Amino acid sequence: MPAKNERSASNQPSLYGLLRPYTVLIILLVLLTVGGNALNLAVPHIMAKAIDTYGGGNFRLENLIVEFSLVALFIFILTALQNIVQVYASERVARDLRNDLTAKISVQPYEYIDRITPAKLLTNLTSDIDAVKTFVSQAIATLISSIFLIIGASVLLLLLNWRLGLAVLTVVPIIAVTFYYVLAQVRKLFKRSQEAIDWLNAVINESILGAALIRLLNSQEYEYKKFLAANTESRAIGMNILRLFSSIIPVITLCTNIATLIIVVLGGHFVITGSMTLGDFTAFNSYLAILIFPIIIVGFMSNVIAQAAASYARIAEVLHAPDEKETGNLTIQLRGDVAVKSVSVRYGEKYALKDASFQVAAGTRTAIIGPTAAGKTQLVYLLTGLRRPTTGTIAFDGRPIDEYDKTNLHRQIGFVFQDSVMFNLSLRENIAFSNTVKDADIELAIQTAELDEFISTLPEGLDTIVSERGTSLSGGQKQRIMLARALALNPRILILDDFTARVDTHTEALILENITKNYPNITLISVTQKIASVEKYNQIILLMEGEILASGTHEELMQTSLEYMQIFESQRSTNQYELQT
Amino acid sequence: MNYKLSKSDDAKEREKGVVTTALRRLVPLLLTEWRSVSIALAAILISSTTTLVAPAIIAHIVDTYIRTNDFAGVLDFSALLFVVYLVGAASSYLQVRTMGGVGRRILFSLRNAIFNKLESLPVAFFNQNKAGDLISRINNDTDKLNQFFAQALMQFVSNIVLIIGAGIFLIVINPALGAAALVPALIVIILTQIISPWVKRTNLVSLRALGNMSGEVQESLNNFKVIVAFNRLDYFRDKFKEANERNYMASIIAGIANNILTPLYTLASTAAQLIVLAYGIYLITTGSFTVGLLIGFILYVNNFYNPLRQLASVWSSLQLALAGLDRISEVLALESDMQVILTEGTQRDEDSILAFDHVSFGYPDGDKDVLHDINFSLARGKTYALVGPTGGGKTTTASLMARLYDPTQGTVYLGGRDIRSYEPHERAKRVGFILQEPFLFTGTVKENILYGNDEYAAYTTQEVETLLHESNLDPLLARFNEGLDTKITSGNDAISLGQKQLIAFMRAVLRKPDILILDEATANIDTITEQLLDDILKKLPPETTRVIIAHRLNTIENADEIFFVNGGEMKRAGTMQQAVDMLMHNKRDS
Repeated sequence: MPAKNERSASNQPSLYGLLRPYTVLIILLVLLTVGGNALNLAVPHIMAKAIDTYGGGNFRLENLIVEFSLVALFIFILTALQNIVQVYASERVARDLRNDLTAKISVQPYEYIDRITPAKLLTNLTSDIDAVKTFVSQAIATLISSIFLIIGASVLLLLLNWRLGLAVLTVVPIIAVTFYYVLAQVRKLFKRSQEAIDWLNAVINESILGAALIRLLNSQEYEYKKFLAANTESRAIGMNILRLFSSIIPVITLCTNIATLIIVVLGGHFVITGSMTLGDFTAFNSYLAILIFPIIIVGFMSNVIAQAAASYARIAEVLHAPDEKETGNLTIQLRGDVAVKSVSVRYGEKYALKDASFQVAAGTRTAIIGPTAAGKTQLVYLLTGLRRPTTGTIAFDGRPIDEYDKTNLHRQIGFVFQDSVMFNLSLRENIAFSNTVKDADIELAIQTAELDEFISTLPEGLDTIVSERGTSLSGGQKQRIMLARALALNPRILILDDFTARVDTHTEALILENITKNYPNITLISVTQKIASVEKYNQIILLMEGEILASGTHEELMQTSLEYMQIFESQRSTNQYELQT
Repeated sequence: MNYKLSKSDDAKEREKGVVTTALRRLVPLLLTEWRSVSIALAAILISSTTTLVAPAIIAHIVDTYIRTNDFAGVLDFSALLFVVYLVGAASSYLQVRTMGGVGRRILFSLRNAIFNKLESLPVAFFNQNKAGDLISRINNDTDKLNQFFAQALMQFVSNIVLIIGAGIFLIVINPALGAAALVPALIVIILTQIISPWVKRTNLVSLRALGNMSGEVQESLNNFKVIVAFNRLDYFRDKFKEANERNYMASIIAGIANNILTPLYTLASTAAQLIVLAYGIYLITTGSFTVGLLIGFILYVNNFYNPLRQLASVWSSLQLALAGLDRISEVLALESDMQVILTEGTQRDEDSILAFDHVSFGYPDGDKDVLHDINFSLARGKTYALVGPTGGGKTTTASLMARLYDPTQGTVYLGGRDIRSYEPHERAKRVGFILQEPFLFTGTVKENILYGNDEYAAYTTQEVETLLHESNLDPLLARFNEGLDTKITSGNDAISLGQKQLIAFMRAVLRKPDILILDEATANIDTITEQLLDDILKKLPPETTRVIIAHRLNTIENADEIFFVNGGEMKRAGTMQQAVDMLMHNKRDS
């Protein structure tokens, strides 16, 4: 039975497991709900008594008012408390779940986020958690008190007349089976429905990140079509869910009504044949009313339950993802030696890097050059631990990268990404968002990146807020901020990925000079296109199609590598200008 | 123009919480669905009738047939009862199904409307608003309306009908007692009127907090590699925690506000019963009322207050929907200030493909001008280079050439006509612009090369390959592992920036624009491949004008003319040597 597999796969019980830490709150909530409802039932009783005593002649209005007001007040307090506890409990669950989820995300490697996609994680953190929240606020207390009511009413029915009771209760399994069937169906649909939201997120996100391109190419219509496809899918799934759910409540109501019908016909028969009194018959009818109400309520809640179960299964997938392999705990001050040994990176059949080996001595400068798509960026991602090699090892100061405590390692390796990434924060926070960075380090980093003049022209200086995606800054400014961000860590190893591409020659020369001056013993690994600026480096590595073709000093490579000479030639025509620096 | 969507809590609160005003705002949405709404109304009417009729039939069966031991009569009327139940089930199914459909369709069209609006807004809008917040408006806020329409609206309507009916009944039976019974209801309804704006506001604050949190998440996840590499995961956690905490507080307040009515209405209901009981007993003592009438009256009071209590729980759903609608309307109300204008008599000489006439520009959220009084004219078929220090205004100049922004002063002319007078598709055809930061969509290399290109959209891989070959672009394709079918995913780090630039280059060249602007478009491409690109550019049709922004000198050495851009001003550099001198020795003004 496929429904069964679905159930075990999505480990539904964990939705209740999730609530275990909140047991006290939930019990309180159930007590308040039951108490409020019970007191509400007392109101007609008091009224009946009042009318009876009035008929009896010894009626005192004050007694009635006092008694009644007390009950009213208690009902008010109980329902008010119930509402507050309900809101508090559900929001607490949602908040804690969000924090747990982000805590989990934050220890995942970069590749994980890349694979799961931000679009899905955003749905997890908003829409999925919302579904769980609704479950807690609307369903849980009602559900528990409904189950009590159903059991209690069933027992009463059986005690009163077990034959008629059994006949009436036959509808309960029918309802249960309908329920089970619909929920199994609908859970799959809800899962797909949330996936459609992921899809919408992704389309909207791309249409915002690519806004300039879309406007340049006037492709709004095309984007709209993409959105429409996702939205149409979302609507179709929504309609399917609706089709199932719009039937569940009428079916349940009909079943309970059939129970009434059974009482009328069968009970009527018993009364007519004399095996049941009319009084019992009437009582039976009113107990059935007690039974029916909670069943219908559960029917209404089934929507909430199914959605929460599907959403929580999606959240649990992230929460229970295996932790990243235990990293080492080596926390030492690096000297700055780097060794790459037989490293390969493979995507399917294709090698992005193949058996690359080289060494960088502490305090030296190494350049990596090579054509586009040679694997340069892959190589520096490995050095920062953002990606892991398929085979081979990377070592710092002779110890493999895995032995190091990650935090400690990241703090000592400054990496300037090729593409600029800015946060909607102040410039200061963009350069140093952790509190461990000292003001003096920020100062030196800013100076080295030749940003001090630019910042001094801003009315709010370092406190200027950068817009999301850094749209208010020029490409070169962003690149220099990225450099300052890396230098502010006061790193032992500085990795530049094509840093100079967006900085003008004059500024570039100044910056490189500053680095040598201000960070004298730093190990520098620079991916670049320009030979002229790295001719004096201790080592130049030529990478092509994922393989190291040659390495050595500029002079050595000019002697030994034809490809290197070609690249050099391709840049020579402009060297006459560059030499003037 | 400022496109910033409001973030503060002082949203306009002119409207009162009156039911009619609230419903009036929803009416336009429902008008398109009037047929479904009528069906649902009829269905709910029928299903309510069956719920009322069924007990009467049972009473009839008990009184007439069971008491007289007539089992055949029991069976006959049980059959009738069964039919009534069936009708009830069918009509309630119809109601839920129809209104659910209405909700889904309104959700669908609202989402489309917002997305369409976003697409009609200029780049400036996106510079001022967070992606996550916009996503939240499209996905979350619209859903609040869906939920209201699907689940609450019909309850709302049917409860109001029941309340009015029961209210009239009470007054008719005994005006004095009826009026007394309605006093608590009146009080809570007035109270509702007073607190509704506040309830809506708390919901708005809560939706806003959710939008902010979503913005936080989206920004962090999009830039996750930097967060990892810079070991700022703790920071990510803390920042999120803060946004989460704010959202938590706002949600709790909104949740309590949403639930505040339920106990109040219950209190009103018990108070009304007490009033009726006490006043009724007093009336009986004066002899103008009987015990039997009192018992009946109390039942009618319940018929009035039960739907009123249900209304209280539906009310919050309405306030939430209205708050969602506020945030949606905020986006829908924005109008692009970059419309196509009609021009007469602004013709300029046809020789120049592009000209700036006293152009000044400042970004909407910036406080100073980025370009001051720029004048130049570009001839057809020539190659121009813009050089200068970073932050000097080169990219801004290029953005104005492609009308990503309009100048704050002066005019940009394209082919002798004010650039603002071109229809967007016409302008897109004539101006090609390779952006400094290439952007790729999830898909394949082929899809990205043909992106936005109607002419070749239907081409097969084979045909595209031929096409690339004809345009001399095929050597560039060799840089991709699986050629045109190479996959591109959102994170995209299997593709390097240089490769992205190659795709952007192919995409732009295939469109055959009159003027092709390259904004540091080859900065991350190696010099050998770059020579290839140079050749391709040289082989473009002779009338194509090229504008190249670059730092690398070999990229610009073949330019016919070089402009030096610095501090928002533009100078002719004359020779390459002069340009280099300016670059090396001029002080950077930014």
